[in-house]
Amino acid sequence: MNRRWAAVAVGAAARRTAADRGALLMTAVFHLLVVSALGSLWRAAAGGETLGGYDADALFWYIVASEAATVPVAMRLIERIGDDIADGSIEVELVRPVGVLALRLAAELGATLPRLAVCGVTGAALGLLVTGTAPPAGAVALAAPALVLAVACNIAAQHAFASLAFVVRDARSAWFLYQKLVFVLGGMLVPLELLPPWLAAAARSLPFAAMSYAPARLLSGEGEPWLAAVQVAWLVVLTGLAALGFAVGERRLQRVGA
Amino acid sequence: MIEVEGLRKTFPARRRGGQQVEAVRDLTFRVGPGERFACIGPNGAGKSTAIKMLTGILHPTAGTARVLALVPWQRRRDLALRIGTLFGQRSQLWSELTPRQGYDLLGAVYGLAPRAVRDRVGELAELLGAAGELDAPVRTLSLGQRMRAELAASLLHEPEVLFLDEPTIGLDLLAKQRFRELLVRVNAERGTTVFLTSHDVADIEHVARRVVVVNHGTLIHDADVAVLRRTLLATKRVEVRFERPPGALDLPGVQAAWRSPTELDLVVDTAARPIRAVLDELLDRGEVADISVVDPPLEQVIAAIYRMPVGP
Repeated sequence: MNRRWAAVAVGAAARRTAADRGALLMTAVFHLLVVSALGSLWRAAAGGETLGGYDADALFWYIVASEAATVPVAMRLIERIGDDIADGSIEVELVRPVGVLALRLAAELGATLPRLAVCGVTGAALGLLVTGTAPPAGAVALAAPALVLAVACNIAAQHAFASLAFVVRDARSAWFLYQKLVFVLGGMLVPLELLPPWLAAAARSLPFAAMSYAPARLLSGEGEPWLAAVQVAWLVVLTGLAALGFAVGERRLQRVGA
Repeated sequence: MIEVEGLRKTFPARRRGGQQVEAVRDLTFRVGPGERFACIGPNGAGKSTAIKMLTGILHPTAGTARVLALVPWQRRRDLALRIGTLFGQRSQLWSELTPRQGYDLLGAVYGLAPRAVRDRVGELAELLGAAGELDAPVRTLSLGQRMRAELAASLLHEPEVLFLDEPTIGLDLLAKQRFRELLVRVNAERGTTVFLTSHDVADIEHVARRVVVVNHGTLIHDADVAVLRRTLLATKRVEVRFERPPGALDLPGVQAAWRSPTELDLVVDTAARPIRAVLDELLDRGEVADISVVDPPLEQVIAAIYRMPVGP
């Protein structure tokens, strides 16, 4: 069977998100507020100096990208997937000729892309306004695909976490834990270079850094293209874990029911 | 087309020390091509579990089944290309998308070319009378409209067998009636085999030609609906409320019980006296404020089946 369905799923979900102008506006406003607050905070903290190797402008661009990578991903996705598993809604998806996970990943990525585009545009405008200078073209060229990879990693990881609901029935606690891990170990609030060295080293070796830190580091002007390669590697691992979780979960569902 | 032999499903205990649930016990039956077949039983009888095994969602504990010569739980995705499913309490369409967008996506999932999907959606919209509701988000549709849209979704890839699990649940009387007519039409015009589960006796009366009755996971009756109609569904209950006490009623062979001077309950054996004759008599004798004709409850039908003599 051809894979046209994946492109159709991404397109349909993207059109659905793009059609909801009110929700897009809310996403843009939320992103601007968070970036304004956090970015200003870090600029003030840096003053005329550097922090962890970042100057004030680089810190602002870091926050623009770290938030643009996380704000577009649907809130409480783990909880929503977990509810679909626990209440049996997912059973209907088993009676389709394509995998449950694959279709869900494609649709969720499609739904996220318009929000990512909006956050990218609003973040860039705010960054230019505040810093007065654009990041180097090379940094933008690396950060743009890294942002897409970041949301893809995030979505895959949330599906992997949510597959726990096949066993524990309630994935709400997983969502709470996951969110905190992305906040701190993903470098969403604090650049990893500002964490204690042992924690920074640990965070760099975890998948959460691929969801926020990688595009933020790249947009702040650090020419480390290998970060995108790490993201690709994590995307493969996280998608594999989600596939494993869903495969085991579906087999369990088929044996014991919803 | 569908062959079921000694099918059994036992769900393990949910908690330590809890009890196993034997949802389906030794189901055996066959359904031929083009049949309109119903599996009825009260809530918890095992109907949904049976349909989930036949569509590959659940693995049985024991027994065998073949649908279109495929073992459903071993060839779930291959089977999915050849069957349609409609679960009354679950939506296969995406609530934020319009039905048309959902059909485009489902068409791609089923490997249909975009042009084929467009043509097919046009045909189905005409067949189901659903053209006016294709471009509104699914979440804004009424339940009746949504079920029509769901039926179109399940027919999009021209399935050979259509499995429907409680498809009329929650629909109002008019929507139920329309939905039943649609199923009969789809079967007549496309030759699609219809496998329906319901706990609504009227679904069976109006859609199925053959029915199996399941209770506590066990098949207790397998008959033509025509036979069932003559025997167990011949009784109708009529509830009528008059504006003022009516004149004397002439209703031989009908059990009548007055609830008040203006409210009357009747039990009509339609084999002895057609329901129309009873309604005509009621309308002639007084000013009717409200009237309803209802089928015997399924529990009553099942109790009657249990009382039937065993054997050919």
